[in-house]
Amino acid sequence: MKIIKSIDSLLNKIEGGILIFLLLLMLFMAFGQVVLRNFFSGGIVWGDIVLRHLVLWIGFLGATLAASGERHLNIDALTRYLPGRIRGVVATCSDVFAAVICFLLFRASITFIRFDIGNNNILFANVPSWCGEIIIPVGFGLLTVHFIIRAILHAGQALQKGSPA
Amino acid sequence: MSLWIIVAIIIVIALCGAPLFTIFGALALYLFYSSGMDMSSVIIELYRLTDMPPLVAIPLFTFAGYMLAESNAPKRLVNVAQAMVGWIPGGLAIVVLVTCAFFTAFTGASGVTIVALGGLLYPMLIKEHYPEKFSLGLVTASGSIGLLFPPSLPIIVYGMIAEVSIDKLFIAGIVPGILLISILGVYSVRKGVQAKVPRIPFVWSNVGATLKAAAWELPLPFIIVVSIYGGFVTATEASAVTAFYVFVVEVFIYRDLKIFSDLPRVMKESMLLVGAIISILGVALGLTNYLIDQQVPQRLFEVVQTQISSQVTFLLILNGFLIIVGMMMDIFSATFVVVPLILPIARAFNIDPIHLGIIFLTNLEIGYLTPPVGLNLFLSSLRFKKPMLHIVKSILIFIVLELAVLMVITYWPDLSLWLVRLSSAQ
Repeated sequence: MKIIKSIDSLLNKIEGGILIFLLLLMLFMAFGQVVLRNFFSGGIVWGDIVLRHLVLWIGFLGATLAASGERHLNIDALTRYLPGRIRGVVATCSDVFAAVICFLLFRASITFIRFDIGNNNILFANVPSWCGEIIIPVGFGLLTVHFIIRAILHAGQALQKGSPA
Repeated sequence: MSLWIIVAIIIVIALCGAPLFTIFGALALYLFYSSGMDMSSVIIELYRLTDMPPLVAIPLFTFAGYMLAESNAPKRLVNVAQAMVGWIPGGLAIVVLVTCAFFTAFTGASGVTIVALGGLLYPMLIKEHYPEKFSLGLVTASGSIGLLFPPSLPIIVYGMIAEVSIDKLFIAGIVPGILLISILGVYSVRKGVQAKVPRIPFVWSNVGATLKAAAWELPLPFIIVVSIYGGFVTATEASAVTAFYVFVVEVFIYRDLKIFSDLPRVMKESMLLVGAIISILGVALGLTNYLIDQQVPQRLFEVVQTQISSQVTFLLILNGFLIIVGMMMDIFSATFVVVPLILPIARAFNIDPIHLGIIFLTNLEIGYLTPPVGLNLFLSSLRFKKPMLHIVKSILIFIVLELAVLMVITYWPDLSLWLVRLSSAQ
């Protein structure tokens, strides 16, 4: 259990660090674009493309943090009223489900990105498309790992006698 | 037939509390797979996110809102409002409404308002001898009251899904939002008079001092509204300016947020919400596209048409339906699932998509308060350590008032649309 928890927090640290860097980058870039456009009549042409990809990256990294913090949006109207032990079992099941779906999405995004690399698609200038897209498989991969970790932790809690999940 | 079995199983899993983005993802994967397309189509749809310019506004406004909520801005703004309207009987109640609206507009009704401001305002209300039940109801109801004001996140998300101009939606929400606050304000003043709460004498120097303390934060709503209304910037550009401005103000001018301890935490916390929203948005795009491809909205419309013929009845049924949706789902998931389905139907009944957006968001705002599963009820119950039933009783009158306003908003389209026309006529 301890090892699993430390893997989770190590991943979180890396994800959080990159997330912070990208958010700061986005903050300054977005503001810079507005200044350039309004006062110097013309922003960087590829600036908006980069910004929108940054949102994708930030979104996926935020989603991984939400997964390990169990803060994804869900319908908890019913599970709220379950007694501790059963709630743990139900939580384990929904984690396993989430992990399976994320894995399928991971596989689908590998297919997607392979296609783009094969066609030598270009994002802008000399930057190939896959550079912007790589976060999709990476993100779903990380989400799969986080949900597996959640499932193991929840299962462990449900098995422990008497302790609420 | 097996389609319905699969859908039923997925709904059961959703009710077991699985993250909604995996639910939508599962549906999208299955539907694409069963219609013979490669599963990577889901990812192609997801990648369409990067073709949507308003997307950038989501993280930037959220970040700005969280920075404000985590700084001492709530305290400074409450002080200003107190100094300005504290002399009115029921003035503090108005302070609650206005400051909560301000914060909800910035934090997107994610519950931050009740947690951050409720804890500050509820004890103040009790100290000034407002009835306990009224105070609890007011603070709970105020937790979602600013949804209609820019730069509210639900408005942005609605605009992206419905493909209507977010700038126009921002403008459309202002008058209905003010109406809602005014009605609740009038009720609160009446309560204040009845309870004979003490009034704070109006002192010019107090107003001056509190204004000066909050001088950097007060212009924010005006900057956003004026710059969009005046056509200087788009909603997306406004988000960049707002986030940068709030960053400089809270980190370098007020120094409420320490760069190395507070800032990383606020960044992660706010982007966690953004991640939760964008992950749903991404997979929902595939799902929505599939539904439109299969002409599901049209078929739904044909069914609806045989039952309902007038706009008036349609709106009434729509409202009832949306309140139930608002009770079951959070505002973002509800937008992803419901808007693509109702939008074409509403269009056929001659309802402006911008007007529909305001109706939609007002409904979900009420949904936050309706038992048994309104989110605000739970947050309030946790935050103030009161039993659910007690909160529900305290909130009933507020629900009735909001429903009355909802009716006005629904059947008086010009309330939402005249300012939009005015600004686009310029």
